[in-house]
Amino acid sequence: MPPDASVDDQAAANVVVIRTARRTARSGALWGVVFGGYVALSAAGYASLYPTPAARAKLADSFEANAGLAALVGTARHLETVAGFTAWRSLGVLSVAGAVWGLFGATRVLRGEEDAGRWELYLTGQTTRGRAAVQALVGLLAGLGALWAVTAVIVSVEGSMSTVRFSTTGSLFLAVSLVAGAAMFMSVGALAAEVATSRRSANGIGAAVLGASFLIRMVADSSSNVGWLRWASPLGWCEELRPLGGSRPLALVPVVMLIVTASVAAVAVARRRDVGAGLFGGNDAPAPSTALLSGPATLAVRLVRPVAIGWFAGLAVLGFVIGLVAQSAAAAISGSASVTSAVERLGGHRGGAAAYLGIALLSAAALVAFVAAGQIGATWGEESAGRTDNLFVQPLSRRGWLAGRLAVAAGLVTAGSVITGIATWVGAASQDSGVGLGQLLAAGVNTAPPALFVLGAGALAYGLRPRIAPTFTFALVAWSLLVEFAASVVHANHWLIDTSVLAHMTPAPAADPNWSAGAALVCLGLLAAGAGVALFDRRDLAGA
Amino acid sequence: MTLALRVEGLSKSYATTAALRSLNLEVAAGEALGYLGPNGAGKTTTIRLLLNLIRATSGRAEIFGVDCQRRPVEAHRKVAYVPGEPSLWPQLTGSETLHLLGRIHGRVDLAYRDVLIERFEFDPSKRVRAYSKGNRQKLVLIGALMTRAELLLLDEPTSGLDPLMEVAFRECVHDALDNGQTVFLSSHILSEVEALCQRVAILRAGQLVEVGTLSEMRHLSALTVEADFETTVPDLTAVPGVKAVVVDGSRVRCQVIGPIDPLLQVLAVSGVRRLVSREPSLEELFVAHYGADPSDPSRTITDAA
Repeated sequence: MPPDASVDDQAAANVVVIRTARRTARSGALWGVVFGGYVALSAAGYASLYPTPAARAKLADSFEANAGLAALVGTARHLETVAGFTAWRSLGVLSVAGAVWGLFGATRVLRGEEDAGRWELYLTGQTTRGRAAVQALVGLLAGLGALWAVTAVIVSVEGSMSTVRFSTTGSLFLAVSLVAGAAMFMSVGALAAEVATSRRSANGIGAAVLGASFLIRMVADSSSNVGWLRWASPLGWCEELRPLGGSRPLALVPVVMLIVTASVAAVAVARRRDVGAGLFGGNDAPAPSTALLSGPATLAVRLVRPVAIGWFAGLAVLGFVIGLVAQSAAAAISGSASVTSAVERLGGHRGGAAAYLGIALLSAAALVAFVAAGQIGATWGEESAGRTDNLFVQPLSRRGWLAGRLAVAAGLVTAGSVITGIATWVGAASQDSGVGLGQLLAAGVNTAPPALFVLGAGALAYGLRPRIAPTFTFALVAWSLLVEFAASVVHANHWLIDTSVLAHMTPAPAADPNWSAGAALVCLGLLAAGAGVALFDRRDLAGA
Repeated sequence: MTLALRVEGLSKSYATTAALRSLNLEVAAGEALGYLGPNGAGKTTTIRLLLNLIRATSGRAEIFGVDCQRRPVEAHRKVAYVPGEPSLWPQLTGSETLHLLGRIHGRVDLAYRDVLIERFEFDPSKRVRAYSKGNRQKLVLIGALMTRAELLLLDEPTSGLDPLMEVAFRECVHDALDNGQTVFLSSHILSEVEALCQRVAILRAGQLVEVGTLSEMRHLSALTVEADFETTVPDLTAVPGVKAVVVDGSRVRCQVIGPIDPLLQVLAVSGVRRLVSREPSLEELFVAHYGADPSDPSRTITDAA
């Protein structure tokens, strides 16, 4: 045996760790930039918009007593300080974003690879099912480390600014708190990946746990009588960490316990189960249903159906919650400098609940645009897996197929926007907010044009460079969201703001929707989609 | 003669490689053509070009007179395709998949579909994700054959099938030929091509190196002679026309090109116990095209790739 053989063995045994770590760390570092940037912008924006103690006290008075906002993003504490505001503003949002990242990252590594048949290549090498699962978890941990490190560095740098002044330990603990959600749901995702029979259902299980955690946390934060309920939700534990002011490292105990328990359970299941199987055996021989199998367009509807149900439920909950808290939130933000300026910047003129709803529905618009981006990703996924080859060898036009596929996506987006509007009205009406169904339905539909533009731009990318089309489309939406957020806290350049697709919609119902602007966006999207369809007809297919 | 397939100067290049170089090929209606070549020779590229899944760099192809690249929809009406690595929707069951493919193609012989399901002993009630590789292959075979399309484009169609199912597949190809259909069979399983195809085209590194009937091609190659000797093995290397002599104990094997007379004269006086001569197998023809020594047992077709 050559002298360096043991070294090669070592590398072969750790291949899962190395590959997982490389992949997750890259995306962790990227998200660390987003996390850090969000925190830095929050702190800087607060310092510039509320420079005086009097302005800060006023903000604290109105926001801290506000049950609606508390339900949405968490209970506010010490809003009269940069630290308190920054922790409140970043923790609620980034915990959920991190949880989604961790969940999908874990199921991709621990189930997506297996679904694709690549996991077997590892398992036939120098490892076992259990050991490979441990190695994947170690690799994911490296990604988490990258997320924490990048976040911590940016927060520490921002924290050293004279207008901000966080302590070093405070900055580091804030980074820990922001990453806790990602860590917990990474382990939940790992367990779901072992228990479920496919990545798709693992994502479903994880999303259900996340949804339940969010709802419990929301109820707990809506009234101080039930504050103890926070301890029943992983997202509540994140809030109980209370970074940057009254830090409570003890709340890390349940966080760590969940991570350890779920990880150990995941490895235990991985050791026991067959490759390709789950704990709950899915039904592999269901009664055949030929509904929606009459042609390519109906097939697209059938394939999109489970995703659509998830999105519709998510948008309905989001709309309902926004509507529910509108009345009380409006009371809190009346006179708030940041909200008033944001509404005016976006062209809104109404105050009260309508102003709040106009701002809040921007986030719904971003989500609807993500639905559109997801459709471009799904279309490329079908092609790159070689499944569309089964269609394109048949007597059917490629142009017609893509046009039909995009029409299904556009239908999904439009239906999502209508559902958002109706759900918002249901929530708002239950609180007598005084904003009518017609107004909110229009506000819902108003979120569709940016998403339809994104769909068209994505289709053009798909016709031109399919491999990068999903990344491009998601990046377009993420960029728009970032620009909107930056513009809401600092005075941003007009040209920069115009690069955001979300900047081209009016914040209905704070103002009447600008339908001609919306129509222009949709027309641009249609033009781009048309070009994409023509290009698609003439390019090589990826296929297997 | 009606042409099922006419290919003229068909080429496909990628940034750095030429996957297919100026292919010229004609396949008559009702004929079965074997399309042979090692992995990476360009067999799948050819079929994907014919199906307009990828665009030709130059050249053209017609299926029953219909331009494959300009009028793909019309061309596809006459075609059924079987991929070697089927990728299907994992959430659909076998019967749902067949229903979908049938509806999209528009023409299905339902009675024949049931015959095929029985012949391949296929259980269509399961989800695709639960099928083995062989069962997925059966599914795409049934999906293509049930259309009774005029031209069957088969790209290594029996990969993953067991020998019994291989027999069922051959039966289906005979059905198709009896029915007047044309078969384009891409394969590297030589016995399969030998059993099913009258004509063979051999592709290597993107270039067509040989087209012809099997009997035509055999003339190009040597006769294989094996002899066992009572006593010592004579030296055959000097005999005119004899090549690739391999001695194994008291046994010798060689190739004879041209007249066999000189060899027979030597053998007649050397105490031959047993003499076998045979036409070269397709495999030997094939290996000959790749310059490998056909008598070297360590060389196989896959090695040649």
